[in-house]
Amino acid sequence: MGEKTDVWQGTLALMALRTLETMGPQHGYGLARRIEQTSGDLLQLNYGTLYPALLKLEQEGFIRSRWGVSDNNRRAKYYELTKAGQRQLKRAAAEWEQTTAILARFLTPAEEA
Amino acid sequence: MRKLRALWLRLCGIFSARRGEGDLAAELASHVELHTEDGIRAGLSPEEARRQALIRLGGVEQTRQAYRERRTLPGLESLIQDLRYGLRMMARNRGFTAVAVLTLAIGIGASATAFTWINAVLLQPLSGVAEPNRLVTLESVTPNNGWVPNSYPDFIDFRDRLKLLDGIAVTKPAALSVGNEDHAERVWGELVSGNFFAVLGVKPELGRMFLPAEYGDTPGAFPVVVISDRYWRSHYGADPGVVGKTLRINQHQLTIVGVAAPAFHGSMPVTAFDLWVPYMQQPVLNGVQVRMLQDRHNRNMLGIARLKRGVTVDQAREELAALAGRMAIANADVSEGMSATLLPLWKSPHGPQGLLVGPLRILMGVCVLLLLIVCANVTNLQLARATAREKEFSARMALGAGRARLARQVLTESLMLTAAGAALGLATVPLLSHSLKFLMPPGPMQLLVAMDTRPNLAVLAFTAGVCVFAALAAGLAPALQVGRLNLSARLNDGGRSGAAGRGRNRLRSALVASEVALALVALVGAGLFARGFQTTLRIDPGFDPNQVLLSQFYLNTSGYNLQQRKEFCRRLAERMQSAPGVTDVAYSDGVPLGFEPSWWEELRIEGYAPRPNENMNIFRNVISPGYLPLMHIPVVEGRNFTEADNEADDAPLVMIVNEAFVRNFFAGRNPVGARVHGWGSWFRIVGVARDSKYHYLSEPATPHFYVPFRQIYRTDMSLAFYVRSQGDPAGTLSALRAQTRGIDPNVTVFDAVPLKEFIGASLYPQKVAASLMAVLGGIAVLLAAVGLYSVMAYWVAQRTQEIGVRMALGAQPVHVLRMVVGQGLKLTAAGLIAGAALAFALSRVVSAVSFTNSAMGVGARLLGVNASSPAIYLAATVFLCALAALAAYLPARRAASIDPMQALRTE
Repeated sequence: MGEKTDVWQGTLALMALRTLETMGPQHGYGLARRIEQTSGDLLQLNYGTLYPALLKLEQEGFIRSRWGVSDNNRRAKYYELTKAGQRQLKRAAAEWEQTTAILARFLTPAEEA
Repeated sequence: MRKLRALWLRLCGIFSARRGEGDLAAELASHVELHTEDGIRAGLSPEEARRQALIRLGGVEQTRQAYRERRTLPGLESLIQDLRYGLRMMARNRGFTAVAVLTLAIGIGASATAFTWINAVLLQPLSGVAEPNRLVTLESVTPNNGWVPNSYPDFIDFRDRLKLLDGIAVTKPAALSVGNEDHAERVWGELVSGNFFAVLGVKPELGRMFLPAEYGDTPGAFPVVVISDRYWRSHYGADPGVVGKTLRINQHQLTIVGVAAPAFHGSMPVTAFDLWVPYMQQPVLNGVQVRMLQDRHNRNMLGIARLKRGVTVDQAREELAALAGRMAIANADVSEGMSATLLPLWKSPHGPQGLLVGPLRILMGVCVLLLLIVCANVTNLQLARATAREKEFSARMALGAGRARLARQVLTESLMLTAAGAALGLATVPLLSHSLKFLMPPGPMQLLVAMDTRPNLAVLAFTAGVCVFAALAAGLAPALQVGRLNLSARLNDGGRSGAAGRGRNRLRSALVASEVALALVALVGAGLFARGFQTTLRIDPGFDPNQVLLSQFYLNTSGYNLQQRKEFCRRLAERMQSAPGVTDVAYSDGVPLGFEPSWWEELRIEGYAPRPNENMNIFRNVISPGYLPLMHIPVVEGRNFTEADNEADDAPLVMIVNEAFVRNFFAGRNPVGARVHGWGSWFRIVGVARDSKYHYLSEPATPHFYVPFRQIYRTDMSLAFYVRSQGDPAGTLSALRAQTRGIDPNVTVFDAVPLKEFIGASLYPQKVAASLMAVLGGIAVLLAAVGLYSVMAYWVAQRTQEIGVRMALGAQPVHVLRMVVGQGLKLTAAGLIAGAALAFALSRVVSAVSFTNSAMGVGARLLGVNASSPAIYLAATVFLCALAALAAYLPARRAASIDPMQALRTE
């Protein structure tokens, strides 16, 4: 798997929530870069798609945003996880782990028939 | 929850669209700057760093679009855009909007009114009752399949033996006199079996309804009364302490036990009663002899039954018919050949709905017709508008609007127009639906109309349905037309606006032709009904109703017994006879061609062997000796009744029969002196009277007989008093009042009308149908004319250039005139042919619609004439042609006055 992959539908929100949890409040650009780094640069994010996804999370009340100032004195919009967001992250992470576990059972070669 | 919150935020987003977009722009700008700085730090030149940043961000427009779609609800947002745009268009084209909305308001208002009536009369005949769909009316069936009310003993048998019913109640409408002698007021009430409210499921608003202890069959044991909410408010100022007070009814004290729920106003559709008294109080209140309550022959009670849950009408009907069959055998002396059946409430032949069902059906049909014409008109208007707006649509399409979006825009506008029309139409419903009162026959019934004129849920739902139907019907064609718009062809048209394609003109022509066709149907319908009404009016009733004043007395309300009644009649007749100008005085039980039920007696005729199943129930009237001379009905054989034909023991029972009676039962024999059996005794025929009309003007000659008032009159019969005078019958009213007061100040003269007006009641359904058709037919014709005019005017406007060219090449104004009018008439002709065929087919259907009169429970035809009366078709055709010529002439004149130079220079 040397190539860069696109982000699967629905997983971007989970990645964003998780990243916000570990890093604390973060602006859109920082968030995008961090997601790429965490993926070991395997993911190639189209930065533009991040913003509608963040808006959706905000409408659902999982994150909130405010305008702030970045380290090098740039105005930027910061996103931050809410309580509901933390709960949602736990739930979604658990679901995701279960899904991958099930899929793993199918994909691992049969050990003993 | 989360989803709802998101939805709400998106909904809010619609209204702050601009702010949100600015926010995103700032965020994206900051994103690019942050990214660029990173690039510079990594060693790129500022330009290269910025370029990279923009590339990685992806298409800004796509992001913006995705963001916008997520921020708001795109479907709703574009709907709001459509609505805003539609409103602007409506405001800009005021003339178009006004015409379309008004047209729609007429169509929708008329149908909503018709539906309000149908709803009140047929669909929800009783209000304030529990589960009305399980209620049915119970009718006794005569051997010749007529429906008649029930007797009290029959009711008791039905009540005690039927297993599939949750109860049967009986009721008898009655005029009651309430208050003290000097200011008595007549109030309509119902005499009901004790279980009446329990069967109907009516709740008290105050106090209680009748208790099971009051359900009994003991005469005179229950001096109680339940009053209506209306009466409670009007007479007691809604006093909560009313329960326990006494009410003086027919000179007897009754205790008010409760007030019925406000929605309940009795057991007859569209009729409002105010008092309910246990039936068993009748002997006390009305002086009815107790034995008549036990007489199976005394069929005067309307039955209402409640089906057990899960039982179908058919099952219950079967059980009832079996029981009634056994009863007919057990009580063969009075009930031979009788049966009983259950009917849906609205089918009951008693009460006003019997008259209204037929006319209302036709009314609904006509309203559909009207609505179709309205839709055709509005479609035409919109098609014209859509053609005029083609440039606008083309421009929008060129800018990327989808066809579906444009079609939706047209439909949205159509829906807005119909919604505005519906709102306007609905506003008129309370006003119009009140006019149901004018459709009721004159006399007591008119006062009783109870009509909830506020549009209720059913009416609103119906109107909404009609509205959507009209929007689709009127908007679909224009929407499809927009959908088919050929962009390149339109833009290449080089700005020549409005030369519509052939296909579209064909559509509009077809619409106008169909409007003309529908108008012809309406006009022919109106003509047929009016003609039918006229023909019936011209039928000779066989008696002379002119200059006769008829008044009906409710002597039972004064607590008279039989002897007192007869005495009252005799003395009043004596006094009136000597009043100035009075030539004849008479009194009887039934009034010919009247509205009240008419009664019959089962006869056995000496020397006549009835065929099996032959109906020997012959209608009769109970008359004073003066009746036949007063009515100018000649006695053709034998003699008239005299004062000697009285109740004295040595006076033999006598009878006068009509000519049809003789033809039927005395073929070739001399009837005078023959014996006839009825009321348990033998009567001798003393005379033969000329045939006259008894129930309907259009009825064929029917056997009928008369018996002397003094011999047969009973306390449960009505009393009609006739005075013939030389002058205006209304002039004798004051004399009648004075004389009545002179005999007994307690007796009030109610309902005095000229007989001529009263017998008009038998024509009522026909009159109603004729006047409704005339009004709606007029509207339909007017709308069709407007439609034709608008199409012709548009056609002329479209061809201004062409006409200019023709005139420049030498065409005379008269040629142009002929061309335009000819075009209009061609459309009309096509419509007329189709309309005539349709009208012919429909009139066959309509001529089968009949109405029932409470007198007989048999149908009479609404449409008295031959459905194919050619003169009416011809007249309607000629009239529509003339109207079409006029509608085409106005635009034609404008076309003919076109200045060729001016026309060629336009555009």
